[in-house]
Amino acid sequence: MAGFALHYDDKKRAVQLLIALGVVVWIAVDAATGGSAYWTRVLLRLPLLLTGSASGWPVTGGFVLNILLSIASMVLATVLGTIMGLGTLARVGLIRVPSVLLVNFLRNSPWLVLLFATLYFLPFEMRIFGTIVPFPPFVKAVIGLALPTAANLSEVIRGAVQSVHSGQWEAARSLGYNTLQIYRHVIMPQAMRRMIPGWMNLYALLMIATALATVTGIQDVLTILNTLLAMENERVIVYFYLTILFLFIAYCYPIAAIARRLERAVKGDSL
Amino acid sequence: MSRIEALIELDNVRKSFGDFEVLKGISMFVQKGEAVCIIGPSGSGKSTILRCINGLFPIDEGFIRVGEHRVHELKSDKAMRALRHQVAMVFQQYNLFPHRTALQNIMMAPIQVLGHDRAEVEERARKLLKKVRLSEKADSYPGQLSGGQQQRVAIARALAMQPEVILFDEVTAALDPETVKDVLFAIRELVEEGLTCILVTHEMKFAREVSQRVCFTDHGLIVESAPPAELFDNPQDPRTREFLGQVL
Repeated sequence: MAGFALHYDDKKRAVQLLIALGVVVWIAVDAATGGSAYWTRVLLRLPLLLTGSASGWPVTGGFVLNILLSIASMVLATVLGTIMGLGTLARVGLIRVPSVLLVNFLRNSPWLVLLFATLYFLPFEMRIFGTIVPFPPFVKAVIGLALPTAANLSEVIRGAVQSVHSGQWEAARSLGYNTLQIYRHVIMPQAMRRMIPGWMNLYALLMIATALATVTGIQDVLTILNTLLAMENERVIVYFYLTILFLFIAYCYPIAAIARRLERAVKGDSL
Repeated sequence: MSRIEALIELDNVRKSFGDFEVLKGISMFVQKGEAVCIIGPSGSGKSTILRCINGLFPIDEGFIRVGEHRVHELKSDKAMRALRHQVAMVFQQYNLFPHRTALQNIMMAPIQVLGHDRAEVEERARKLLKKVRLSEKADSYPGQLSGGQQQRVAIARALAMQPEVILFDEVTAALDPETVKDVLFAIRELVEEGLTCILVTHEMKFAREVSQRVCFTDHGLIVESAPPAELFDNPQDPRTREFLGQVL
């Protein structure tokens, strides 16, 4: 029997292979029984889905816009999340309590609801110091998605900071460092490494969530698909949705996989 | 011994964690250049005494003076800095900064806290590494060093602050037996050079050899304080006798 005792990793790989094989077989059988005509239609529209223009250039939307949206949101979320994270760690109650409340509010709100909220609460332009700052739907989508991401990131940051051994605080204090210096020279450099996997995981989640931004009316991949489908017959819809699903998986899976690997690597250092 | 000439002075220091009173009125004096060992059962407040002396733990009641600093009155980080410059500490778990090399660990605080010149600090740091016989490990990270080596780097890091007093908190308790003697050797050198040291330790033989005075603590009080020969060979208090009977 020992010969059949497979390792967990081997079993996992076997199952993954089986699923992939099943999908390939299904596609082949389907293509042979008339599905290839539908796939041709999808292929024809692929440049439009990816970039927003039928010829593939210039980029006006599509899946590339989802990627841009996710990157812009992540940048904003990183800044806001760091502020919120440090806020929840503050010793002064006047800073900590509002921070904790805000983080918990944002973390426990549905992303779609937050997106609608920013869509309707933010004006389409705002007068700041005499200059008019416009808030186009794209900017609203960036903010709407950045808020819950920032709140989740702040928890990642708080966890990473608190995971640094308390002896580090004592040692730094006994060497004369003040609190700010301890964060800067001792705690943050160590916490940073530990938060990278969580940060990447969040980014993959955020990328998936950009599909929600279709409610703001920006020309993201889903908005374009909806317009497109009006001209297509019902049977082909399945093939389009499968394609989009695959686009997101192809983009997000490697990120999540790398994050998992880093997580394992970081777990090793018990310092 | 008169209070005036003592470098460190504690008077009726009390400290509680929640409902648990760890220190129930500690009074002691340490002269400049003196090596004092604190021994006693675990939980008797030995480590807490050290942390109160350098202000890591605020005290509830009493008086602590180190040099001209009245520790119990220091509140701000800035006021603490001068005290921490004067009093260094070495910990049981070494607590080196894992993201910095041995040399960087030693150089960080003198540059970042005291604002000393980098070149001068590096020279000082290399000398100290040589003193603890780890010159070849300057560029190793703490994770690459053995416990005994890490602890000697930690001693060098404390010395780099050019302190007048060093507090040693059970610095050999987490070490393998074969590396203990390297660390004790380094400490012995410091004592012989006349640096004021307060050592919490379980190494009775070492305490006997190195210190001028041994204090025995039990349940938050200093039960007995005497030169090592006296305390070890002729303990006066029954609690001291019982403790020594168990460990010797």
